[in-house]
Amino acid sequence: MAVPCWRFAARPLWQKISGSGKLSVSVKSAVRSVSSTRHTRGAQKPSPVSAASPWVLHGAVCLQRLPVISQERSPIEQRFMDLMQQMELEKSLLSDHELRLLEDAERMSRKQEADYDSDEEEEYGGQEIVMAQDLEDAWEQKLKQFQPASRTKASDTTDVSSSERCLGDSLVLLVKQDVGSQRLWLLPQLPWEAGETLRQTAERALANLPDAELKATFLGNAPCGFYKYKFPQNIQTESRVGAKVFFFKAVLSGSGHLPLQKDSFAWVRTDELQDYLKPEYLKQVKRFIMNL
Amino acid sequence: MWALLSYLARLLVHITRESFIFSLQILLIQNTRVLVQAVSLIRQYKSMPTHGIGRYKYLLPKEQPKKKKEKVQMKQIKAATGTEYGVLNVSVSGYDLTLVEHYSQYIHNLCNRLDIKVDESYALPTKSTEVMVMPDQGTKMYVDVVLRTHERVVQISQMKAALAPVFMEVLLKNQPEGVQLSIKEHTEADYQTRFKTRPELEGLLAQIG
Repeated sequence: MAVPCWRFAARPLWQKISGSGKLSVSVKSAVRSVSSTRHTRGAQKPSPVSAASPWVLHGAVCLQRLPVISQERSPIEQRFMDLMQQMELEKSLLSDHELRLLEDAERMSRKQEADYDSDEEEEYGGQEIVMAQDLEDAWEQKLKQFQPASRTKASDTTDVSSSERCLGDSLVLLVKQDVGSQRLWLLPQLPWEAGETLRQTAERALANLPDAELKATFLGNAPCGFYKYKFPQNIQTESRVGAKVFFFKAVLSGSGHLPLQKDSFAWVRTDELQDYLKPEYLKQVKRFIMNL
Repeated sequence: MWALLSYLARLLVHITRESFIFSLQILLIQNTRVLVQAVSLIRQYKSMPTHGIGRYKYLLPKEQPKKKKEKVQMKQIKAATGTEYGVLNVSVSGYDLTLVEHYSQYIHNLCNRLDIKVDESYALPTKSTEVMVMPDQGTKMYVDVVLRTHERVVQISQMKAALAPVFMEVLLKNQPEGVQLSIKEHTEADYQTRFKTRPELEGLLAQIG
């Protein structure tokens, strides 16, 4: 592909222009729009379980809000990017606009001379109305009118339940649910009911969250992770020794504008997960949460 | 040869005085013809050890008779099974050519690394959009900017269903700014959009039909 460029991807610091007329930008929704129009092939009937296993099945959803803006560059990355930009500038050829600028400047300097004869002008029949420099000035004016939105929001580090914090990282939804007798922070889960697939259980778990209208796109029918735990001795019976939780991956595609309850919801980054989850659970969950 | 000669000798002996010359002539004519044929029946050079040296045409692959250019047929689209997807089109589009192309190359390399079969990797024609601005005072619109939308498609087939969530998540997390990603199933209509329409042909066909 004959495209001269450098491998390090450019990360513009401002959002795409969404308004018209005045060039001011507001971040309309801090969520990347992800929609799936593919016919979901998840409606497969599960085969009937022949032998009852002593494990209770749960379906859980790992809902992630993908990053909205580019990440901050580390100092080395910044220096490298400056170097590459300079190299490309030095290696590049002049564009049409720059050539026009040079020609106009040259023509102006020729006009200033005493023995200037406009009949000797070869290329252009007459004067140009709009000089290249004027165009450039007009563009500079327009750029000054453009206000990029601020990269950080006020609710950045404080409000954990807002999905608009840490726009440069991907966040995972955690929910405080009561499991047995304790209230724990974990990924939203629900027990499986007969006659539905585990993915439908996970979808139900997401829909049943109180007060939250979270639209999510599930990424596939196969679970991405699994965690099993045994019930404490006094609850264990013959048929219910423990529970197995299957996690499904989903991506947030749109959210309702109701703020979530602070105590029961949290949007956390991967490095903050250890503050919320139990160590054993965290070990299994970390296996499928990618920190890219 | 010797039998012939002996036969000749016997003939000559048999020919008596009456028609000696005449019959001899006829016999001679007949016999010379027979002799010539006999000599040509036994080819000396085929038994030469170097007979056939330099033959090579039989070693070359058989050349098909030249046929007219066939119409390009579409490959059969494989259907999805219970554990694998069929043919999926991962299409990347955006205004910035470098980002779009680099992202599509990244997807292609990722598929190679994850052993996902990539059927085709092609580009769709760029679409130019002119942004016209109407100033407040005047009525005439003038062209402000020309935006070009580039699109690249990576066609993958028979991806394992268990790999799909991982693959899609990696793609989504590495998506650069200003680039739209879409994954769709491949249909025949998608295949036909790659071809240019021929308006004259369609006009003529409409006239006939």
